[in-house]
Amino acid sequence: MMLAAQRLDENPCRPRHFRPPPCAPVVTDERQAALIETCRARLVATAAVFAVVFLVVALRLAGIVVLSSGPAEAQAGRSRPAAPPPPARADIVDRNGKLLATTLNSPSLYADPRQILDPDEATRAIVSVLPHLSPAEIHAKLTSGKSFVWIKRRLTPRQQYAINRLGIPGLQFDNEERRVYPYGDLASHVVGFCGIDNNGLAGVERALDSTVKAGPGPIQLSLDARVQFVLHEELARVIAEFSAKGGAGIIMDVRTGEIVAMVSLPDFDPNHPTATDPRLSAADAKERIFNKITLGVYEMGSVFKIFNTAMALDYGVTSMTKGYDAARPIKIGRFTIDDFHGKHRWLSTPEIFMYSSNIGSARMAVDAGAERQRNFLGRLGFLQPATIELDEVAKPHYPKVWREINVMTIAYGHGISVSPLHVVTAVAAVVNGGVLYRPTLRKMQPGSAPIGQQVMSPKTSENMRKLMRSVVEFGTAKFAAAPGYVVGGKTGTAEKNSGGRYQEKKLLSSFVGVFPMHDPKYAILTLVDEPKGTKQSHGYATAGWTVVPATSRIIQRIGPILGVQPVDEASPAVTRALTIESMQGKRI
Amino acid sequence: MTKLGAIFWLGLVLVSGFTTFKVKYAVQDIDDALTRVRKQTIVEQQEIRVLKAEWTYLNQPERLAEMNRHHLQLAPMTVRQLQHRIDDIPWRTLSAGPDLLLAASPVPAAPPARAAPVQLVKATPGSLDALIAQIAQAR
Repeated sequence: MMLAAQRLDENPCRPRHFRPPPCAPVVTDERQAALIETCRARLVATAAVFAVVFLVVALRLAGIVVLSSGPAEAQAGRSRPAAPPPPARADIVDRNGKLLATTLNSPSLYADPRQILDPDEATRAIVSVLPHLSPAEIHAKLTSGKSFVWIKRRLTPRQQYAINRLGIPGLQFDNEERRVYPYGDLASHVVGFCGIDNNGLAGVERALDSTVKAGPGPIQLSLDARVQFVLHEELARVIAEFSAKGGAGIIMDVRTGEIVAMVSLPDFDPNHPTATDPRLSAADAKERIFNKITLGVYEMGSVFKIFNTAMALDYGVTSMTKGYDAARPIKIGRFTIDDFHGKHRWLSTPEIFMYSSNIGSARMAVDAGAERQRNFLGRLGFLQPATIELDEVAKPHYPKVWREINVMTIAYGHGISVSPLHVVTAVAAVVNGGVLYRPTLRKMQPGSAPIGQQVMSPKTSENMRKLMRSVVEFGTAKFAAAPGYVVGGKTGTAEKNSGGRYQEKKLLSSFVGVFPMHDPKYAILTLVDEPKGTKQSHGYATAGWTVVPATSRIIQRIGPILGVQPVDEASPAVTRALTIESMQGKRI
Repeated sequence: MTKLGAIFWLGLVLVSGFTTFKVKYAVQDIDDALTRVRKQTIVEQQEIRVLKAEWTYLNQPERLAEMNRHHLQLAPMTVRQLQHRIDDIPWRTLSAGPDLLLAASPVPAAPPARAAPVQLVKATPGSLDALIAQIAQAR
């Protein structure tokens, strides 16, 4: 009986309130036994479940600790790599990946004057690191009792390190982003500059502002920093030599429209675009930021005879053997059109081009007529602003009503003002087989072909190559010769028009060259503004004495950089491509 | 039997609990290390940006040209120095004429070859004679 009671007491299924009567007779019946059996079965099942779960946990732990290579660990390496937050503006690089513009964290120094223990000592220490700050000003700031004063914005990393080393409590840094142009003024007009709030204000920085802000990757320009330097240096040399007001130059790949170099002098340092030199007036500072290549419009003078001759040849108005009488000046209204290097005889088309005859060119244009001249110039893009990745583009100036006098003067580049960018783009089309490419400052991705527009027949283009070569071989640009590079081109010396009058002493001398002429790769346009003759140039300030020799030097220096293979200029392949049959055997 | 079972399970609970915490702390340590390395990487990458800018600054063509004028005086390459194609370069003939590349370079490509180095000996009476003999031998 006792045993039965105990057994009942041990029963885990026993309800808590149930106590067996001390001496009551225990009656074991079938029903009770079955109940106990059910309870036991449930218990075992629960225990088994728990055991399984614990075993699983234990095994998993053993697996992780002992075997140590599970799917979790494999996943650990796949976490994304650490990268700093992308800067507000992407880098701008040249075609070889050289940094033209980058964004750096630039710490600014501020102080909490209430934490500064010894303002005299702190002032001395700060001025020892940043010597251009005024001690009196710093001292005043540190004793102002405010809780925040700027000491110096935009420190260099070295200055930050030096300030940190001073160990003055109360000095703190605040990180700001700052645009840095490591090459300084080298490509200032192309790259442009940013304001203090990191918004592009000029150049590519402005025109591609949203791209620069969006993309993490660098934006690659078509510019080549080395070629840019050569152009920059040689132009500066011409300007110094001939005491010119300014100058500009552009080099374009005629096969794609990519601009390899673009210089406008005088220029500025984009790191401090608004810093005004005390020696310069405000007008001078403005002049520096002005991009002569895209924003300047000029009457290009005889350079325009390239397009005039191409037009006449393309419409079949003239041919390489036909010609015009250039013996006497043309009198029209109150104007007289005369030649600078007058031959006073009948001239063939190649001679008109070579000797740069205004009379011949004017007669050629009159033969073609105003309608066709206007159409042709429009096709070459002269009647709209140029499209390029810059906002600083100018509208060309041309007559609203295209009269006969306009036709005549436009033939030799007066009465129409266009930007040098227009000219070099059109020249590229004239020499490359007649395909006009959109000028671009962004590097062509390998494998992508530029989209061009056929604006003249390949035959016209071939004839123009011969004519442009003859100018360097026999004509006004003999100094442009660069042995091995088969240079061709056309000079232009225009008198500047101010207030409706042409001024004989104020010249705009320009030269557009192409090399190598038998298989054109690059076009280069250089111009100088108001050069003055020197002793060496016998007092001349025309293109032939100023920009033409400079172009020769530039081509000789950039040829190896651009990978243009020098050739033997007397080789049959070159002479066959560039000889004008009608001129053979003639005395030039 | 029940007691043995209980001890087994208790032991298992203790061991698994211990290892769980150990693993957790180990993972936490690794995670901290990862965060540290990431932070360091970001600092280094920003430093690299600064260094790249500085390197470009130091390589300004104007500065390189100035340094060339100062230290090297190298002239720009001329057409004369550019061979046309690799096939155009003639094979070296046995009766070697003047070196084409050397003749074309604006400055001597290499300093003239020096004579065999002379061994220095301590100056003693008679050492001068030995030195003269050595020089004569080298010639």
